[in-house]
Amino acid sequence: MKTLRVIGPLLITIGLLYFLNRGWTSPPIPPLGQFLDPFHGFWQNAETGKPENRDLSIPGLSAAVTVIYDSARIPHLFAQNDEDLYFAQGYITAIDRLWQMEFQTHAAAGRVSEIIGPAALDYDRRQRRLGMVFGAQNGLASMEKDPISKSIVDAYTAGINAYIQKLSYEDFPLEFKLLGYAPEPWSNLKSALLLKSMAQTLNMSDKDLEMTNALKLFGKETLDILYPDQEKVGDPIVDQPGRWNFKTVLPLDSVPMATPKELIAYQPLEKSSHDVGSNNWAASGKKTASGSPILCSDPHLNLSLPSIWYAIHLNSPTVNTMGVSLPGSPAVIIGFNDSIAWGMTNAQRDLVDWYQIEFKDKTMNEYLTDGTWKPSRKVVEKFEVKGNKVFYDTVTYTHHGPVTFDANFHGQSERAHFAFRWIAHDPSQEVITFYKMNRAKNHAGYMDALDYYSSPAQNFVFASVQGDIAMRIQGKYPARRKNEGRFVLDGTRTSTEWKAFIPNEQNVMDKNPARGFVSSANQYPVDATYPYYVTGSSFEAYRNRRINQVLTGSENITPPDMMRLQNDNFSVKAAESLPVFLPHLDVVKMNDTEKYAYNALITWDLNNRVDSEAAAYYEAWWRALFPMIWDEMDSAHIAMQDPTTFTTIQLIKEKPDFSFFDMVATPGKETATDLLRKSFSAGVAAIEAWKVKKGMQPQWGAYKDAVINHLLRQEALSTYVTHGGNRESVNAHSRTHGPSWRMVVSLEKSGVKAWGVYPGGQSGNPGSPYYHNMIEPWSMARYYTLHFTSSPQALSGFQISSTQLSPSK
Amino acid sequence: MNFLKQAVFTAALCLILQYFLPWWTLVIGAFAGGYWFGNKGFISFLAGFVGVGLLWFLTALYIDVQTQSILTEKIARLFPTKTPALLFLLTSLVGGLPAGFAALTGSILKSSR
Repeated sequence: MKTLRVIGPLLITIGLLYFLNRGWTSPPIPPLGQFLDPFHGFWQNAETGKPENRDLSIPGLSAAVTVIYDSARIPHLFAQNDEDLYFAQGYITAIDRLWQMEFQTHAAAGRVSEIIGPAALDYDRRQRRLGMVFGAQNGLASMEKDPISKSIVDAYTAGINAYIQKLSYEDFPLEFKLLGYAPEPWSNLKSALLLKSMAQTLNMSDKDLEMTNALKLFGKETLDILYPDQEKVGDPIVDQPGRWNFKTVLPLDSVPMATPKELIAYQPLEKSSHDVGSNNWAASGKKTASGSPILCSDPHLNLSLPSIWYAIHLNSPTVNTMGVSLPGSPAVIIGFNDSIAWGMTNAQRDLVDWYQIEFKDKTMNEYLTDGTWKPSRKVVEKFEVKGNKVFYDTVTYTHHGPVTFDANFHGQSERAHFAFRWIAHDPSQEVITFYKMNRAKNHAGYMDALDYYSSPAQNFVFASVQGDIAMRIQGKYPARRKNEGRFVLDGTRTSTEWKAFIPNEQNVMDKNPARGFVSSANQYPVDATYPYYVTGSSFEAYRNRRINQVLTGSENITPPDMMRLQNDNFSVKAAESLPVFLPHLDVVKMNDTEKYAYNALITWDLNNRVDSEAAAYYEAWWRALFPMIWDEMDSAHIAMQDPTTFTTIQLIKEKPDFSFFDMVATPGKETATDLLRKSFSAGVAAIEAWKVKKGMQPQWGAYKDAVINHLLRQEALSTYVTHGGNRESVNAHSRTHGPSWRMVVSLEKSGVKAWGVYPGGQSGNPGSPYYHNMIEPWSMARYYTLHFTSSPQALSGFQISSTQLSPSK
Repeated sequence: MNFLKQAVFTAALCLILQYFLPWWTLVIGAFAGGYWFGNKGFISFLAGFVGVGLLWFLTALYIDVQTQSILTEKIARLFPTKTPALLFLLTSLVGGLPAGFAALTGSILKSSR
């Protein structure tokens, strides 16, 4: 009988083990026993950062690879052949960034609910319905068709998997432990997904639907005022009127507008941010102190931890290149080699079209095209939702692409079905572009590499040791006719579809222009004589002019000059708008705090400096003004885009009585003056409230309250930064977006010199001293020298540690 | 005195077990300690609890000091615990509690034979 007394404590012990060995989805709790275990749990992810030389024996390598880490923890890889090089790139990148690589590709593929639970299901369905996996599979097929790209991607995948295979629970990156799951094997499809997710970040929108609504509501005339195809602001990327004398691939008439009978009622996708953008430029030797070209590139993205970029140096008998890579994709994406340097900014072109589809009946099995019913294709998508039942979603595919919105998903009308045609659904060979670019010797090599590039469309800047500079706006562009792609297209007629693509040689490009520099900052690409119709969701209006103005006025440029320009905080927007805004204010009626703000603004040097109070007042004013003007867009309760900053300011300047300045919710009739006064008071009041809350003066860097978020948006793993700049400054740092990699390359004949920095760190581990060590130098406009050599021996002065990867016998 | 012996024995055995095996093997060590020493119920529980709780606490503390708390503070803020002190307490409890009950089970089993 006595033995029975054992049962109580035994059951408690087993019960405790059970509860401490499992996790919960809501509230999210990791398996506490495993997680807190100091021998295997999160404690094991804490690193000292002390340099450690390692000798690793790895199955799958054919010869030894030497990896030297420098003081910024940038790995320099020296391999004896290309397969080993990309294998090692996969392996070394995975050491620092495995969780990020997996999470980003899960996010691209619509698999986040497997990790997070039902909260992510809507996001996941959206990803599948946008055809992200469909596009990646098409990308993968073409990637694997070419023997070179196949061998690179295969080797990269094998390298990542060699690392994953060595891991046991205590080695897992922190986030796996936190979320209670294990890494799965990498695949070539994941690399393809990663490239598609970049295309999604840079080139996806439902602008066509929004514009169609605006057209219905406001009419064509107002529409052209609110959303002009080309704003009246100079400085296109390539300005060579009359040079485009080629024969277009098809007659460029116009596409009839297919305005639907009713407004398009749907819940829009996440708005693509206007904060995503970039700068790049190259100055020729004529303008530099050394007589050699200098190339600069700084892509602006949503800043995150782990960082979007991973700096790396790749060396084999066929290549010697350095720069930044995307964890999950082989090769260097933005960088330089012994002969050339290159960088990218987003081309902003509209490569997304939405077609309204007419289905025969509710089954959506057949749809109308040129008067006949054509069968659709159904794809059943499976979602393994953590902590829930498996969810199935049927996605209907037409020949245009997937039907994203329908009665089952975000569509609010039985009749409205919109199929999604996106350039990134097409087969493409970007891996070859970067393979070739990493090895390019001159301008011809750069041009050859770009011939393989289709999406997302980018402005590729170039400079070479030989002294050439160039710009090419490369992508696969449908040869658009007037108005094609601006609004929803009629999906029942094939005449509205893409008929042909612009041949590569007819893309916008420039080489060694007379002005001595090339530059791009997401502005309108080309002068008005370019024959094809160009449209985009928005083109940049300010940064590009500042860059061109500074470069035009500069001679004997040095790399530090270029670093200063990358960190330039001058606001052309403020310079153009304040002289328009301020005269509308009535100084007599101001209270003391408003007078203080007014004085700050009239004496402001127009720089978004980190300690500038005027910059904070200006921004607070703008944040109050903009929604007051465009209240029509909100009160319509229908998906519509806001007009751009540039158009808004132009309207205040030129049409102060424009009907949109009247506020919908008030009985009176407001003009621009009323709104400027109202928003000025509101902005100053917002700053006063902020001052009380924070107990400090509103210095811009503090007021901006910028944060670099961890990918899981956990505050504890994120970092706040105090930094100047703003979205319209060359230093385009807003609250969550900004320069994600600043690079300056001097292409000197005696050897290429380069500097770079990004707001993050090489390690993706929040427990590493290298998790965000570069943020401070980045925020202080300092750069790391990129130690670019051609042998491990030449690095000896900068070496912190080394890792030897040897083939296992 | 037997309390101390059991606690030290349990900690040492669990250190070896945990070095090679997953976290839950600590109940094997604590159970063995409870059975071997056959202490009275509450003493046995406490010895298992303190033995493993301290083992976990000291190991975590060692890592924390070595790495200058680089991760401790971040994880503490992720948890409702908020402060590192409470995170250490939670760690010790999660190790200590199952160990205590396993030790109790061991001692009762012995005394009932």
